[in-house]
Amino acid sequence: MQGVLGAFHEIDAAVHAVEELKKERFGDITVFTPTPRHEFEHAMDHAPSKVRIYTLIFGLAGVTFGYWIPVWISDYWPIVVGGKPVASWVPYTILGFEVMVLVGGLATVFAMFALARIPRLTMTVGYDARFSGGHFGVWVVTDPNRTDSAMDILKKHGAEEVRRER
Amino acid sequence: MATTAAPYRDGERPDIPSAAVRFPAIKDYEQVDREIAGTLRPTLGWFTALGIAILCMLIGAVTWTYQIHEGLGAAGYQPPVMWGVYIVTFVFWVGIGHAGTLISAILYLFRAGFRTSIYRASEAMTVFAVMTAGLFPILHLGRPWKFFYLIPYPNWRLIWPNPKSPLVWDVFAILTYLTISSTFLYIGLIPDIAILRDREKNPVRKAILATLALGWRNSDREWRHFTRAYLFLAAFATPLVLSVHSVVSFDFAMALTPGWHATIFPPYFVAGAIFSGIGMVFTIAIPLRKAFKLEHYVTLNDLDAAAKLCLFTSMVVGLAYLTEFQVAWVSGNPFEQDYFWNRVFGQWAWAAWIMLICNMVLPLSLFSQKLRRNPHWLFILSLFINLGMWFERFVIVVPSLSHEFEPWQWGGYHPTFVDYGILLGSFGWFFMWFLLFIKQLPVMAMSEIKEIVPPRMRHPDPQLEHELDVGYPHPSETGEYGTA
Repeated sequence: MQGVLGAFHEIDAAVHAVEELKKERFGDITVFTPTPRHEFEHAMDHAPSKVRIYTLIFGLAGVTFGYWIPVWISDYWPIVVGGKPVASWVPYTILGFEVMVLVGGLATVFAMFALARIPRLTMTVGYDARFSGGHFGVWVVTDPNRTDSAMDILKKHGAEEVRRER
Repeated sequence: MATTAAPYRDGERPDIPSAAVRFPAIKDYEQVDREIAGTLRPTLGWFTALGIAILCMLIGAVTWTYQIHEGLGAAGYQPPVMWGVYIVTFVFWVGIGHAGTLISAILYLFRAGFRTSIYRASEAMTVFAVMTAGLFPILHLGRPWKFFYLIPYPNWRLIWPNPKSPLVWDVFAILTYLTISSTFLYIGLIPDIAILRDREKNPVRKAILATLALGWRNSDREWRHFTRAYLFLAAFATPLVLSVHSVVSFDFAMALTPGWHATIFPPYFVAGAIFSGIGMVFTIAIPLRKAFKLEHYVTLNDLDAAAKLCLFTSMVVGLAYLTEFQVAWVSGNPFEQDYFWNRVFGQWAWAAWIMLICNMVLPLSLFSQKLRRNPHWLFILSLFINLGMWFERFVIVVPSLSHEFEPWQWGGYHPTFVDYGILLGSFGWFFMWFLLFIKQLPVMAMSEIKEIVPPRMRHPDPQLEHELDVGYPHPSETGEYGTA
């Protein structure tokens, strides 16, 4: 993978660079930002995160499992308590809820890890330590014959530093 | 603007609870990194505090060892009071653990701006408080090495797990709460650990931080999924906060004991937990902002808003106290009436009045805006709230057990040095972890504070600039931060 990395100190300059790169049909663009900014979300125009689907599915699985545990325990060792049915769904709702939160919450985190592709063993190309501080970064994957064009766009919009990486 | 000590006049008040609240003394992202990462350097005061915390913890450990050797009788239990300081302190620490998730999750969903600067410390407080609470069911065992008998699953040890018992619900609730709170804390820390990783020069420390940061790069892909996951975790954590202390209240309310068997217990316990947690947040955050010179992050506006929450929950708790008396009065139940009379005018009057004064009367001072914006008063008040909330749990547990239905069930309770030693040890354990945390990881969410700080612009928006500057002098010009 090879491409061009631009480091910006001003957010509007970085946003304009991204907009022009997209207009010029540079497909694979990554923005680095110290904090989530709506300006970049609008410029990148990605589809909504799919984390919510995992949250829903595993939340439902969790509540099912959470009800099943006490029902299984009750049937495994059936003793009538207080004249109630051996498996009483009303008190078991508490266990169902707790396990739903546990399984749904952990699944949400693992889904985030998978979709964001972390943990990452190496920082790979296209990252600069300044991007966790006060700078914004734009990384564009290009083929060799469009590298100069991408660099020109980044420089035109005020990148502090533009460099090729591979 | 945000840090002035004087009360605001009508028409000049900033919109404190809104997410639009600004930090006027913070100019750019680099300042945030520099100032908050700068708090990680150990100081003499920190070493002293850590030493005291470890000493307290050791006192607790020694007394626990003595108790294991001598048996639970060393802890002052005598029939009919077989729950005492340990259960009181267990409920106290679970309650403390509530404000962290309230501030980080519920206030996040409500977009309350004042949470930003205090939520990290509150979340850490939550995790360490629940870790502390989790010790007490084990400390309460005569043979603590058999602690796994407490875990309710079908087994061959002839122990019948009863999933209809609130004690079983408690295991599920507390473990879920500890897991989700720890996860929430860690997930929020990842971008900040990446900042520390990128600033670190020491190779060993850098390698550790790089491992903890999981290779986080601040890319748009990471942020996109991170923000969604954080939102959903907050949405899960919000009802969890309410459920956990409701379940803890069921430990009492499911019994027929006078003073416990009341449907008011779940909301009463939840409000009390939030109230005590806010008290502990003040106890921790006010000295921290002073010691770390972060008064321009934890501003007087933030304290003011948190104090309003404290006042509100105090009034809910006060209403619950009064409702308990009213229900006993109209119930016509002589056992309930006798119990509540004994609580406030009899054997336990001293404890009940400490509770009522600390939790109901003193917080009413927060109706004064001047006191809400006075960190010294808030700190002193927070100590009274901590004391009052510990006594609230004492008043719930001990008087009920010592004054049940029949005269042969009436008795007293005298904690011994073992109880006090373990109580002190729990504070040492809690503060040891907290003090270690604040010097290893940022005590404020750097990346989230940057969301509020206006980013550097090549072509600034004149309207935005006007909104930021309108009417308020910069505190560095007026010398106003830290004056109160």
